[in-house]
Amino acid sequence: MKGTWPAVVFFALAALGPVVVRDPFLLDGLVLILLWGATAAAWNVAGGYAGQISLGHAAFFGLGAYSAALLGTRWEVSPWIGLLVGAILATAFGILLGFLSNRLRGPYFVLATIAFSQVLLIVASRWRGFTAGSEGIPVPFRPGFWTLGITDKRVWVAIVLVLAVFLYLVELYLERSRRGYQLAAVREDEDAALSLGVPALRLKVAAIAASAALTAVAGALWAQYVGFVDPFYVFSIDLSLRFALAAILGGIGTPLGPFLGAALILALETYLRARFGGIGAGLVGIYLIIYGTVLVVMMRFAPQGLVPLIGERLRRRPVAGPAA
Amino acid sequence: MHVVPQLLVSTILLGGIYALIAVGLTLIFGVMRVVNFAHGEFLMLGMYLAFWAFALLRLDPYVTLVLSLPLIFGFGWLSYRMVMRPVIHASHNVQVFTTVGLSIALQNVALVLWSADSQFVRTSYYTVVVRLGSAVLNLAQLIAFAVAVLCTAALFAFLRWSYTGKVMRATAQDRAAASLMGIDTGRVFALTWAVGVTCVGVAGVLLAPIYPVYPTVGLQFVLIAYVAVVLGGLGDMAGALIASLIVAAVEVIGSYVIGTAWKEVLYLLLFIGILVVRPAGLFGQRGAEAIGT
Repeated sequence: MKGTWPAVVFFALAALGPVVVRDPFLLDGLVLILLWGATAAAWNVAGGYAGQISLGHAAFFGLGAYSAALLGTRWEVSPWIGLLVGAILATAFGILLGFLSNRLRGPYFVLATIAFSQVLLIVASRWRGFTAGSEGIPVPFRPGFWTLGITDKRVWVAIVLVLAVFLYLVELYLERSRRGYQLAAVREDEDAALSLGVPALRLKVAAIAASAALTAVAGALWAQYVGFVDPFYVFSIDLSLRFALAAILGGIGTPLGPFLGAALILALETYLRARFGGIGAGLVGIYLIIYGTVLVVMMRFAPQGLVPLIGERLRRRPVAGPAA
Repeated sequence: MHVVPQLLVSTILLGGIYALIAVGLTLIFGVMRVVNFAHGEFLMLGMYLAFWAFALLRLDPYVTLVLSLPLIFGFGWLSYRMVMRPVIHASHNVQVFTTVGLSIALQNVALVLWSADSQFVRTSYYTVVVRLGSAVLNLAQLIAFAVAVLCTAALFAFLRWSYTGKVMRATAQDRAAASLMGIDTGRVFALTWAVGVTCVGVAGVLLAPIYPVYPTVGLQFVLIAYVAVVLGGLGDMAGALIASLIVAAVEVIGSYVIGTAWKEVLYLLLFIGILVVRPAGLFGQRGAEAIGT
């Protein structure tokens, strides 16, 4: 399809990674880029394509992580089932949030999403009897694919690559299909779209629910990959911001943007960790200062993000051969 | 029933401080139509200001309060010029992420400079309590409440009677018309932002002798302020005052009845409930939230 070659190159390189690279450090980076890229892409489905900016998407990530971890530790259920349960729960909450989005626009919706993720954070960290409270849950390692007890990082690359490509296709669908055009119409002018017979509410609810479910899937995989679920991390506003920031940096409402943004953020994080290694809290602070500053500067000079910016540059240059 | 007066007094004291935080937030929203997601960070900076003045210069927080007013106001003005002015006519989403970016940056500057440890301002009158009938209250809380009420009253008077205040209200009502009447709305926005920041900065200084200071301290207070501001109707000053008392009552009574561990859930659920049932707030105009303006 037209205009998808950068994505094809990106995902092909990611798929080649495990074949060429053996270094676990680099493979770990690849897994995280694809996983965080997938969460940012899932955020983009609601925030970019449907125009419903959420700063509470960590709630869905946490639902996925907790579903997989709790079902696994308490009833020895496979994390794949846990993943499914998390996705179903997230869909249910996503639908609720979707209906709420019809009543609340702009900053009101943002505030509601923050409150929602905070409620889940408090429930997860205080309901000691069920969730193990603020201590978090160590995910037991049970070897095998069915239990997702995998030490080989190349297998992990394959698993998260499937998720990442699936999310890219979802985004592509939203960009090019009739439904996608309708959703864009709703985003740009809901009243006009309604008057043309576009089922605005149904589309928005579906987009937010899909975004929520896919975020939960990523959360469940993340919990198995990392092996520990901390309520103050998986439900944090910082994590919600991370999803949003990757999508914004790369290009909000572009299919490849979230992956590019996630890769850049991880690269920055890794570089600073190597540069200032061992400072602990200070290190976290430094890259978050850069995060915040980049966000402010981006909003001022290039709120559309990097992908459209690069695209513009390429188009302005006379191109030999078929137009990209 | 001996707890009732205590609960009542605690509610009013807490509500007064919440009001000062909420009033700044709602003022900025009312005039500029911006939800300031960095509001809590200005509170945090106010608290650190009081802490460092106390730790390094042995300045009492209440002395700091008076001395630092121009400093906080100036910082607010500067943050408007550098961060907010370029995006003041941009879309809601751009503004939301600009203030979010500001919030992340400020929070982590504090983290890098002053570490994540909780710091305390231990004044000599830290443990002094005042008895009022059967209720007992902390002196620092009482002073914070009194100053907060004074500041809020001063702000109301300023908006009601001063020429500048009228200009601000005119801009809030219709910025296009205000600008046609010759009002320099750019200056009004800068002033509004700086005044809003000053309110919350003052609240921070007042809170320093009562609560520990750490880089993310703003979040817990600003969440309460969001609840109060939405409950009162975004942009509605008087509504924010009454709503602050309601939120404080929910918190105080909730802590007493079901314990402090779950009190946050109470007001967050209250918040989501209001957003669902009556997003324009108790006193706001119906439909304001749907336009998103």
